[in-house]
Amino acid sequence: MNTTEQPNTTDPVVARAVDLFKQYGTDDNAVIALNHINVEFKRGELTAIMGPSGSGKSTLMHCMAGLDTPTSGDVFVEGLEVSSMNQRQLTKLRRKEIGFIFQSFNLVPTLTAKENILLPLQIAKRPIDMDWFNKVVDVVGLANRLDHRPSQLSGGQQQRVACARAMMEQPSVIFADEPTGNLDSRSSREVLSFLQQSVREYGQSIVMVTHDPRAASFADRVLVLADGSITNDMQHPTYAEILEVFADREEEEGEEEQRAEGEAR
Amino acid sequence: MIRIGLRDAKAHLHRFVMSIIAIALGVAFVIGAFCFRGMLNDQVSQMMATNADADVYVRSTIVSDKHEPNTEVKFSDYESLPVSLLKDVRDVPGVTYAGDAQMLTNIVLVGKNGTAVTTMGPPTMGIGVSKGSWRGAKLTQGHWPEADNQIVLHSGAAEQSGLKVGDTTKVVFPDGPRDMKVVGTFTTDTAQLGAVIVGLDPSLVKHYVEQEGESTDEASRFTVYGNATTPLNEQQQQQLADRINKALPKDSHAIAVTGDSLRNETTKTTQDALGFIQPLILIFAAIALFVGSFIIANTFTMIVRESMRGYALLRSIGASPAQVFMTVVVQAIVLGLIGSVIGVFLGWGMLELIAKGMGSMGMPLSGSPVPSVADIIIGVLVGIVVTLIGASLPARRAALAPPIQAMNETVNPEKPVRRRGVIGLIMIVLGALAWWFAYALATTGTKDTAFSAFDGLHAGWPLGVGAGLVVIGVIVIGPAIVTPVSKVLGWIPEHMFSVTGRLATRNIARSKRRTANTAAALFVGLAIVSCIGVVASSVKVSLHDLVDNNLNANYVLKSASMTTSLPKKAIEEVKQLDDVDKSARLETLMGVKYDNKMVMPMTTSADLFESISRIRDSQGDPVQAFKQGEAIVGKTMAEDHEWKLGQTITLKAENVVVDEQATAQAQQQYMADVQARVQAAQQKAQQLAAAGDLAGAQAQGQEAQKIMEDAQHVDPATLVRTTKKVVRENVRIGAIANEALYNDSMFLPASIADKLTPQAMRLTQQMYVLAKPGTDLETLHKQLTDIAKPFYTIAVLDRDQYKSSLSETVNQVLAILYALLALSVVIAIFGIVNTLALNVSERTKEIGLLRAIGTSRGQIRGMLAIEAVIMSVFGTLLGIIVGVGAGFVIRAVFSNQGMTTLSIPWATLLLFLALSIVVGLLSSVSPASRALKQPVLDAVKSE
Repeated sequence: MNTTEQPNTTDPVVARAVDLFKQYGTDDNAVIALNHINVEFKRGELTAIMGPSGSGKSTLMHCMAGLDTPTSGDVFVEGLEVSSMNQRQLTKLRRKEIGFIFQSFNLVPTLTAKENILLPLQIAKRPIDMDWFNKVVDVVGLANRLDHRPSQLSGGQQQRVACARAMMEQPSVIFADEPTGNLDSRSSREVLSFLQQSVREYGQSIVMVTHDPRAASFADRVLVLADGSITNDMQHPTYAEILEVFADREEEEGEEEQRAEGEAR
Repeated sequence: MIRIGLRDAKAHLHRFVMSIIAIALGVAFVIGAFCFRGMLNDQVSQMMATNADADVYVRSTIVSDKHEPNTEVKFSDYESLPVSLLKDVRDVPGVTYAGDAQMLTNIVLVGKNGTAVTTMGPPTMGIGVSKGSWRGAKLTQGHWPEADNQIVLHSGAAEQSGLKVGDTTKVVFPDGPRDMKVVGTFTTDTAQLGAVIVGLDPSLVKHYVEQEGESTDEASRFTVYGNATTPLNEQQQQQLADRINKALPKDSHAIAVTGDSLRNETTKTTQDALGFIQPLILIFAAIALFVGSFIIANTFTMIVRESMRGYALLRSIGASPAQVFMTVVVQAIVLGLIGSVIGVFLGWGMLELIAKGMGSMGMPLSGSPVPSVADIIIGVLVGIVVTLIGASLPARRAALAPPIQAMNETVNPEKPVRRRGVIGLIMIVLGALAWWFAYALATTGTKDTAFSAFDGLHAGWPLGVGAGLVVIGVIVIGPAIVTPVSKVLGWIPEHMFSVTGRLATRNIARSKRRTANTAAALFVGLAIVSCIGVVASSVKVSLHDLVDNNLNANYVLKSASMTTSLPKKAIEEVKQLDDVDKSARLETLMGVKYDNKMVMPMTTSADLFESISRIRDSQGDPVQAFKQGEAIVGKTMAEDHEWKLGQTITLKAENVVVDEQATAQAQQQYMADVQARVQAAQQKAQQLAAAGDLAGAQAQGQEAQKIMEDAQHVDPATLVRTTKKVVRENVRIGAIANEALYNDSMFLPASIADKLTPQAMRLTQQMYVLAKPGTDLETLHKQLTDIAKPFYTIAVLDRDQYKSSLSETVNQVLAILYALLALSVVIAIFGIVNTLALNVSERTKEIGLLRAIGTSRGQIRGMLAIEAVIMSVFGTLLGIIVGVGAGFVIRAVFSNQGMTTLSIPWATLLLFLALSIVVGLLSSVSPASRALKQPVLDAVKSE
């Protein structure tokens, strides 16, 4: 094994982006999604990335998780350079260092809840710690739903299974892409409190993309993106503080639009 | 809307490749099936026009007892005509030639290299030819035969033998080889399908025809030409026939018919005989088209699902469901058209290849393999219809897309498969019952079933009905057994690759109908092949067992062709060998009837039953009975004729024998005739001498001398007169043998046989030779081959060679079948590839998710490979089970017709199973690559 691939677990920073630049299309059609971003995600924190559609928040997360390759700049997870990894290394990274929770379609429909939760460990042929499994299942409150297929579970339950699956691996960092995007407010609260709990009690690091200020208010830290750049970086903001940031932004945008329309006339 | 459809078709063309290949293959098979038949028909009618090219035929009006009741009366079903009638025909104005063409089919031509010219199957024919007797034959070199030792060769025969005009070679006749000189070659307008045609002097042919015991005073029909060079048209033929009919004596029972009427009939008969090939090809066409329509349905399902948003948009701006339907159907039509056109050419090319192949195997064809307009239209129509059927369901789904379609990945759950399971199960049970019934019919006899309605029913009927029910039943039940079967089949992969194995096994059961349909293509092909494999293997093993258990002979002498006897001289020489302990030849007596039905009794020596091939299970003591002059009858034959042990039966034989009196009379007549002519010439010489014309007198004197000399050299055969003699003999059935080798045989002791049938009307095809104990077998073998060599037509076989000679045909049938299987496997691979591709496209997100949580590329490939293998093993196993079952029942039903031993070719079946695993693995390669090409991000993005 290459020594550079050994993760450094004592580093307080679990994931880092250096001068990250991502551009879609070329020349006239070029759209800049990430404009030279530098950011560090702390170990044992729940970080929320916010921003309007097209702000680049999803792109940032996808680049961080090795799902997308940046045009330039580097991504490190646990000190490993993700942006230069090949498929084999990426697979290994996903097995050991990264967990995922998506907005929808998180589960393999042919497998039961329990099988879904254990799937990553089995795929990686890692031993299963049943104590940890019972604990995780207990925390997400799914103990009596383990033999159900995803189609027999509600959206909230499915998402909690997805959380349990991500937790089961005890990865260095969990990336959650709009985990509450398809849920009603009660289910959202359940999922978010579980995420919060896993950070507080088990020291899990989580990076979550959301456009919902209510969800972001559960986070330890909130990053706000606009037009490919980080515009705000708030520690433990309240719901009101977050709303305020967006209210300002909307006003600005409204004014800009009016100006543009006026010029067009 | 049509424009949108066309544009979509263009955009999707690359996805249509597989569908186009499938449709093209299916259509190619259909075209092949029809054109192959067309080509053979063409060939047969061409050959008829050349080989039976008379303008008018004269035949008898009396239907002979050869005619099978309740069937159409054919030309061959009429009695023969007295040759004396030819005189009347020849006198009719407009007749340029009238004759009675005769033919020998039991000769062998020895080629330039000194070995017999043999063919894969086409016969060697010796035809009596003289100038004008065969208008279709055109002399290319030399002249027609003028003496008994001259032959002319058809161009095909000359090519196969390597002989040229002027060469001397041997022709093996029933009484041995004769030296012959090639005096000419001729061609016919059509190729002769590899038949070796040798033109002989008509009197020589006549000589041998008489030797065979057939009358030469009678001919089955006369050939009449109305023009020496150009054929008459139908109207002219009719006019000539009318004139001849007027000239024929009223009491002659003869009628002249046009040449066309005979040609049409014979052509039809031959074509019917070749008709079996077409359904065989059509079965495989059906498989190809079934898979094709299925692949198309899959492809369109993929396309429609991907375009759903587009259809929703079209609907929301006011397009009607019918219009959306059209956009999909237009694509199907384009696809079907392209596939069909390619298929037509593919089928045509396939036939050209077959024609070439047959040509290189010694069966040149001059029939045209070019598909007719009707064939092309049928092919294209079938292709388009199949495409439309395949596309209709997905198109319907597109048409019913709600104007605002919330795209979601969750596929609608399948309709339950329980109903299909129940219906399929009922069909399989009914089919199995039919099989059991067939088995019962065959084992307990058909005469006496519990239900009078079934009495006399042939076991073949329930057998066929049962096979049909089981095959369709299995296809119907298919989706219902996917889940349990995938659990069973998935057991091994689940234990070898726990996660991927489990995912694959569950995926298989997700769209049960699709999985089952994919497997069905392999199922049908393998069922056919395994069934025939079991039957063929049983036949082979049974034959080998017979030789191993029942035959003690060390060597078997076999006649090289079906129609020639072993030469008597060779038989005698073999008998004289010191090393030969016992020998027995099997002589079939021709023309023997019981109750007006042909029976083919054989005669042999008691040694056969005493030491060479003992009968172990019989009623009565066969050896004793045979020695006492009683007959031994096989069990099946006895049952068919309802003969009992000890019964005396009367056999009737109709022989042609030399009519001594008439021959003497003919010879006297001839001598008197010659004398009269000599006297006339001498008288004339005397008169001329008296008149002083010395030169003239001398010439006449020489003429008289020449007539005398000619008379001395005349072939006595031409003066032989024959007559028909009916012999009836009573024989007691002394033993009924229950021995597979003899089940269909009847053996008569020499005492009876000699009274019934003269030597000339017997066919000796085999002779068994048993060596003296302690003999050096190699020396004996050499002695036997030395004896056989000069006769060219005797094969000396040791036990192993004899065994393989028995199973040769079986092996040829198997080879053809395996070739067809290979084709159906190729099609099945397309089916699996396509199904997997559809599955992958439906599961894009799921595969992305799996990748995101750490599934490696290898694991994804492994999962899809396992899915493909389970699918192909599923079809293969079902096919093998049903095929072996069918083979088992067929073997049991026909056990008394030579299939005494059941043999299941396990090694071959295991090979099929192993191949199906390879097929599955291969099929998964491209869909897996497609699945991996999709970026993980695309798969899991929520937008």
